[in-house]
Amino acid sequence: MTGRLFRAAIVLVAAVAAASPLQAEQRGANPNLLRFCPGSGIPCVEITRDAYDRGHDQFRSSCGFCHGPTAAGGNGGPNLIFSPVIRQDEKGADITRLIQTGRPEKGMPVVPLTPAQVADIVAYLKARIAEVDLTSGRRPGRDYDLKKLLTGNADRGKAYFNGAGQCATCHSADGDLKGVASKYPPIELQARFMYPAGVAKEATVTEATGSQVTGDLVRQDAFEVVIKPADGPERTWPSGSVKVQVTDPLAKHFELLPKYTNAVMHDLFAYLATLK
Amino acid sequence: MKTWLLAFAGAAGLWAQSSAPGVDTAMLLERLGSSWPQHNGDYTGQRFSPLKQINTSNVGSLTRVWTFETPTTIKATTLMVDGVVYFSVPDNVWAADARTGKEIWHFSRTSLGDHLASRGVTLFRNQIYFGTPDAHLISLDAKTGAKNWEVVIADWKFGYYISAAPLVVKDRLLVGMSGDQLDMPGFLEARDLNDGKLIWRWDAIPKPGEPGSETWPNQEVMAHGGGATWVQGVYDPQLNLTYWGTGNPHPVHAGNVRKGANLYTCSLVALDVDTGKLKWYIQTSPHDTHDRDANQTPILIDADYQGRPRKLIAMASRSGYFFLLDRATGESLVTVPYGGQNWSAGVDARGQPIPREDVEPSLDGAFFEGTTTNWYSPSYSPDTRLFYVNASHGFSIGYLMPDPETGKVEDHQGGGSTSLWSENMLLAIDYQTGKIRWSRVRSGGAGGNGILTTAGGLVFTNESGRLVALDAATGKMLWNVNPGGNLSGAPMTYELGGRQYVLTPVGGWLYAWALPERAAGR
Repeated sequence: MTGRLFRAAIVLVAAVAAASPLQAEQRGANPNLLRFCPGSGIPCVEITRDAYDRGHDQFRSSCGFCHGPTAAGGNGGPNLIFSPVIRQDEKGADITRLIQTGRPEKGMPVVPLTPAQVADIVAYLKARIAEVDLTSGRRPGRDYDLKKLLTGNADRGKAYFNGAGQCATCHSADGDLKGVASKYPPIELQARFMYPAGVAKEATVTEATGSQVTGDLVRQDAFEVVIKPADGPERTWPSGSVKVQVTDPLAKHFELLPKYTNAVMHDLFAYLATLK
Repeated sequence: MKTWLLAFAGAAGLWAQSSAPGVDTAMLLERLGSSWPQHNGDYTGQRFSPLKQINTSNVGSLTRVWTFETPTTIKATTLMVDGVVYFSVPDNVWAADARTGKEIWHFSRTSLGDHLASRGVTLFRNQIYFGTPDAHLISLDAKTGAKNWEVVIADWKFGYYISAAPLVVKDRLLVGMSGDQLDMPGFLEARDLNDGKLIWRWDAIPKPGEPGSETWPNQEVMAHGGGATWVQGVYDPQLNLTYWGTGNPHPVHAGNVRKGANLYTCSLVALDVDTGKLKWYIQTSPHDTHDRDANQTPILIDADYQGRPRKLIAMASRSGYFFLLDRATGESLVTVPYGGQNWSAGVDARGQPIPREDVEPSLDGAFFEGTTTNWYSPSYSPDTRLFYVNASHGFSIGYLMPDPETGKVEDHQGGGSTSLWSENMLLAIDYQTGKIRWSRVRSGGAGGNGILTTAGGLVFTNESGRLVALDAATGKMLWNVNPGGNLSGAPMTYELGGRQYVLTPVGGWLYAWALPERAAGR
């Protein structure tokens, strides 16, 4: 009976959580498999998207009125994510019993469900706990709604672009930025115009002999200078043994960073979002 | 007569050593000497060693004398007493010969719960104490590694675990708790050294009606408030006070659901060690929404402030502010940022930064600039009168992420951020002003870069993937070695048989460094 109840809807994986739950979810080989890793060395919970949705739907219709649609508490019913009973019920036996017998003394009725429906709810609750127990921040995904980001004023943004921000000295709406709003998802556009990731500094190393090597600056610290020329492998020199001249294509972006305010960021974004 | 006395003292010392290993109360009350008897060296948290066999003139010839390999990353500070080193990783404790690194015993216990880190073990008389991933407190026999007793501190299923080494004060252990995966309240407990029984408990989050409860919008939010005690505190025996930092409030990024200052999260607190009662506090990041906890080691400094000798406490907090206070009264003397930031508009009358609402993570993204540090140990040198801390400076955009179905924040984080740019560095701060005397920028990751200073005029830490020794006065590099990874726990030092050793954990390896035998004068 118990075996059938828990027909592989929930899988405990004894693996060390290396990535955030969301990253794990996105990087999974099976796009239909959700994987929630609540902490370092704590077993991850894996569940198929179908099983999660099935359990969520069942929970919402059978339990959601009192406990809230996502088990976070509702009309009189407690938050089940913080419930010791739910957390300590490793195999779901207590949850099953509570659903089947109710808690009349606390006003919880018997919920008439089939064993399969109960199993779906148990799997959902276990996954939900792991999902909520995040140890690292959850960022918006690539599908983040443009409307949420559009709180600025495009006209003010345009004025800043052409005026105080001096963006127009390097960029133009009709030139390099033409169609930029179609090129990137909105959430990426917001970060990219502030300071685009992955743009290397350019460096020219002059050796003692006078010969020069130019390429992307990989690393420069107290120990080494590492350069990746366009047409060859990385080259490394001890710091101080060569002359290094660095050009930062993002120098103007970097100068602007400490000067930004939220308002300017949102205005500029609103303007750039019009460049479709 | 004198010779006889010395011989007698020597024999007595040997006898004491063999019958009662470990440290006693008197040893804990002393400033750090030739051993390393507790997590921060001594009660001040300074991690300053008086040893100077290794110094600015000879550190360049440091050589590796032994290596101890463990199956996982060592994030602990090693202890050394009576020729034995003690260290830990989650679920494991080792004792090894401090001259050779040869294993003496190994204790292992499999557990559930969060295995993020074990920051070290605690030694007192003949017992080793440590916390576990499933939030148990365990006592071992220091000579054999056999288990004496074990008590449960908290329920790991609610995200609690113990990473900090307990602090021995008088007849008790102060046990801090870790956990950041669930919206649960933090606390600090005093436990009996002999059997682990509870003596007192200080809750980082007040109960309804208690002082501080007025800084929360309602009981429900307060009941899940946060304030973990991740990092071992320090102790002033004369004032009978212990000082601990507390963790950030929960949900981490969602300030809109917990309007108010959210006491006593992100605070440096002074507690009476007899009763656990709060004597004073300062909140280093009121109403925090950027994970700027106060889980940094505060440092006790007995030195001048504005020409007058004072009993001071200093903290470079994760909020990006350097704090200097009178540790008897909590009077604020200095509160200044140690790098660029945009989250605070100024400082209030108590010396606390005033948070700006418009940089709280939001649905449309909030631009944030901050300078910060983390759990890794800072150090203070009474010789240079500088406070050393590994830090980073960066820009990011913070987002609020409510549940798509309910529109409410339901997970522990409540949001997250996208990093735009960041840079890591070591800072040497003038404790009297908070001004930066010198700094060194580094490349690469910065995880777990603890700091050790010595009377040899040295700073030991990690820079750009190498172990380094710097001139403590100027920051000039005097020694470096590429150990095949980043420093993963704090360096420490001791002297044994006339030779000074420096220990550095790097991933799963614990390396011991010393001068070549001839250079050490042997």
